[in-house]
Amino acid sequence: MMPRHQASGFSNGYPREKTFDLSPHSFQPRTSIAAQRQRKRLFVRLGIVFFVVILITLWVWPKSAFASVLSLGLLGASSELELETVRYYDLTNVQGTARGWEREERILLCVPLRDAEPHLSMFFSHLRNFTYPHHLIDLAFLVSDSKDRTLEVLSDNLEQIQADPDPKQPYGEISIIEKDFGQEVNQDVESRHGFAAQASRRKLMAKARNWLLSAALRPYHSWVYWRDVDVETAPFTILEDLMRHNKDVIVPSTYFLYTSDEPVELTISQMSGDPFPIGLVVNSQSETALALADTLDEDAVIVEGYAEYATWRPHLAYLRDPYGDPDMEMEIDGVGGVSILAKAKVFRTGVHFPAFSFQKHAETEGFGKMAKRMKYSVVGLPHYVIWHLYEPSVDDIKHMEEMEQERIAREKEEEEKKVKAAKLKEQFGDGADTWEQDKQELKELKEKAAEEEKRRVKEEKAKVAQLKQNPNKEKPAAQDEKATTNQGKPKAKQEKSRAKQEESEVDDEKPATSKGKSKAKQEQSEVDEEKPRENREKPKPSRQKPKPKQEKLAQAEAKDDNAVAGNSEKKRLAE
Amino acid sequence: MARPMGSVRLKKANPFTLLLGIVLCIFILYFLISPSSTPSSTTRVVVDSARHHLSPPTSPYRKPKSDAAVELGPPPVTRYNLNNVTITADPIGNQEHVLILTPMARFYQEYWDNLLKLSYPHGLITLGFILPKSKEGNAATALLQQQIQKTQKQGPEKDRFKSIIILRQDFEPSLQSQDESERHRMANQKARREDMSKARNSLLFTTLGPATSWVLWLDSDIVETPPSLIQDLAGYSKPVIVANCFQKYYDAETKSMAERPYDFNSWQDSDVAQKLGASMGPDDILLEGYAEMATYRLLMAYMATNPSEKDTVVPLDGVGGTALLVRADVHRDGAMFPPFAFYHLIETEGFAKMAKRLGWQPYGLPNYKVYHYNE
Repeated sequence: MMPRHQASGFSNGYPREKTFDLSPHSFQPRTSIAAQRQRKRLFVRLGIVFFVVILITLWVWPKSAFASVLSLGLLGASSELELETVRYYDLTNVQGTARGWEREERILLCVPLRDAEPHLSMFFSHLRNFTYPHHLIDLAFLVSDSKDRTLEVLSDNLEQIQADPDPKQPYGEISIIEKDFGQEVNQDVESRHGFAAQASRRKLMAKARNWLLSAALRPYHSWVYWRDVDVETAPFTILEDLMRHNKDVIVPSTYFLYTSDEPVELTISQMSGDPFPIGLVVNSQSETALALADTLDEDAVIVEGYAEYATWRPHLAYLRDPYGDPDMEMEIDGVGGVSILAKAKVFRTGVHFPAFSFQKHAETEGFGKMAKRMKYSVVGLPHYVIWHLYEPSVDDIKHMEEMEQERIAREKEEEEKKVKAAKLKEQFGDGADTWEQDKQELKELKEKAAEEEKRRVKEEKAKVAQLKQNPNKEKPAAQDEKATTNQGKPKAKQEKSRAKQEESEVDDEKPATSKGKSKAKQEQSEVDEEKPRENREKPKPSRQKPKPKQEKLAQAEAKDDNAVAGNSEKKRLAE
Repeated sequence: MARPMGSVRLKKANPFTLLLGIVLCIFILYFLISPSSTPSSTTRVVVDSARHHLSPPTSPYRKPKSDAAVELGPPPVTRYNLNNVTITADPIGNQEHVLILTPMARFYQEYWDNLLKLSYPHGLITLGFILPKSKEGNAATALLQQQIQKTQKQGPEKDRFKSIIILRQDFEPSLQSQDESERHRMANQKARREDMSKARNSLLFTTLGPATSWVLWLDSDIVETPPSLIQDLAGYSKPVIVANCFQKYYDAETKSMAERPYDFNSWQDSDVAQKLGASMGPDDILLEGYAEMATYRLLMAYMATNPSEKDTVVPLDGVGGTALLVRADVHRDGAMFPPFAFYHLIETEGFAKMAKRLGWQPYGLPNYKVYHYNE
């Protein structure tokens, strides 16, 4: 057999020279080579010309569709072509379920902000710690009427979090919405002071919340979570914990963390009828409140924590048992805005924060009312607690001052009563033996309680007097106020303050107790007996409380003198 | 040894045939791409197109290519300054964005044609639709998407809308039939209008983006409006303003087309209606246009006088939703369509009441007519 591959030439015996055939093994008759070469040269030339033409085309019209097709979309990817203008969403896919994190349900986290710079660092530390998958959470902030650097600090922090190398940190869509509501939401004393102004202020806060929600809610959200920026402590798993209950609207109980020298647990009930710090309005409807609602004018708003309307509503915060089951649910009517988790469908179907008086309520309370009206479940968790930063606002200070005055006035009353009691004792001293014995016993008991109470009140009073620079000025004012205010006032206070409740047990003129009150009382007595240690701790904050406010109180007082009275809310509406 | 066929063909082919082939190829390629290259897509400037799909749906977004999606990363921090959103009587001059919202149960071609005829710059218009998840709703969605495809992908540039959002309702319609007789039965009214309110609210609160200045509620059965509808209504600079809705029909007596009032939800309140409301239970609603319930309200439908007096503006206490222009502020403040008896009013009438409670007065234009489809 003849070798096929020879060093000198091809297997077919042709010489190697002047050939660049790619397939030298194929048989090609010699005669055709010239023609083939010619044709090839033609192709090559044509190809070169074509290529040059394309290059020129690309160079001259780099963005034309023609060029992009020829370059297979590799060059100058024209983004206009991929502009997506149509979006399709099926709302049945975003109903919200108990295990949203597994079903990749998106949450919209809404935070209204105003002059919140000092709280932002704390807020961001919470934000970083949320256990719910961050990429499923969209953040929306409303920055309104801020005079400090809230906006700058906020966007810096957010950009930092989005650029975080840890892929678990960055959040979903982040919108910062700026909207100034102008002078209307002014924080000056005149506009913030007084009960009437309080209602209109809350209506404006409601507006702010609605603006935020309407600009940020998207068809792909399953849940909406409202969070205040100044929450001090909250479980990292709060989103999952609340979601697990699978309720339409759910709120935890909010307590105030009092930070002075040592952090002390300070329940709202101890704050001697603190003016509604936002989270306080978690309440169930009592009959008194319902009856009250009927007597009010169309535009009136019941604001919790104000004595003008004694509502007798059991507050979620009073019902707390530190050892209670955190999963215990309770039907409520009004909610506080500190931390609300709601299914997005609640907001989609129209429930919002009424900036008008809706069934005599506005803002977050009105929100609860409206959700109920639309047959959504509104639930509170009395034993699941988050801690709100306690920072007395001008309002709070004002109100505390009022409370203080009331206390003094009540004390006076008490004294009178005591005198009366003594008189009674004298008068009935000659009565039947058994009667007297019984009475004596009762009176002793009463006196003992009253004295104890008095001692405590005095102690506090002394403290306050010590702290206040001009206590004398207050006393007559307190009496005046007492005379003008409505009868329900002291009653409301009783419900709110622990001290007053004890007193009311002694008091002969005990008002008809509502369900909630008796419940609260019950709990109170339980606490008294079972947890004396806690009991001992509790008075602390109320004694310490005025300390940091000393200056502010003086300021507020001075301002009060200048404040224009009767800033009625109707007037505002008329405008 | 097997010989590759290609070389045989090439060998036999005439170079001119090949040249012709190449020319043909170019020719075909040209026609392949020509429809998308004729409208000046290069010159189209979409200022507020977002990069991420998690952006307000009122703006289009640049869809990332499949391979780029991975590298896209987390969405950026976006700042919207709502203080800069103007709402003025000259919406075109100030480039104000309009959101046209339509709850839709049936698709009418005439509705879409009329929409395309609107002379307001389409680049400033976002459309929002909500359709029920029923059989009828599916059919309507299919027809709607077909038309959208035609307009947004193939239509001339000036016809294309800025962005379109289609939502599917998440609750079952309580009323299966959309027939006019069934829909208008008094007993069905409350349930039907509750659903309608929920649909309207769902549509509104998910689409109302941070850039919207005006919201136009246009019913899906409005088949004829003046082309300048939006700028006309906005020109009155009222917070809530409604056009008068009429229906054209063939009058057998006069043997000609005539028109009759259609929407009775725009009215001024009467003492009789107030008293009637006061005597009702908290969940009962007052309805208009039923003989069983005589309210003696002053209906805008019957206020129409001379068509030349288009500028007559009347204050109203209840509005209809057929062609209703609302300042976005009003909705942002919280005015929605109550799906419950709100002062014995529901849906659009309840909306008017809520707007009033928030301090926004609704108005109507008795002589400015839009026309309803005639079944």
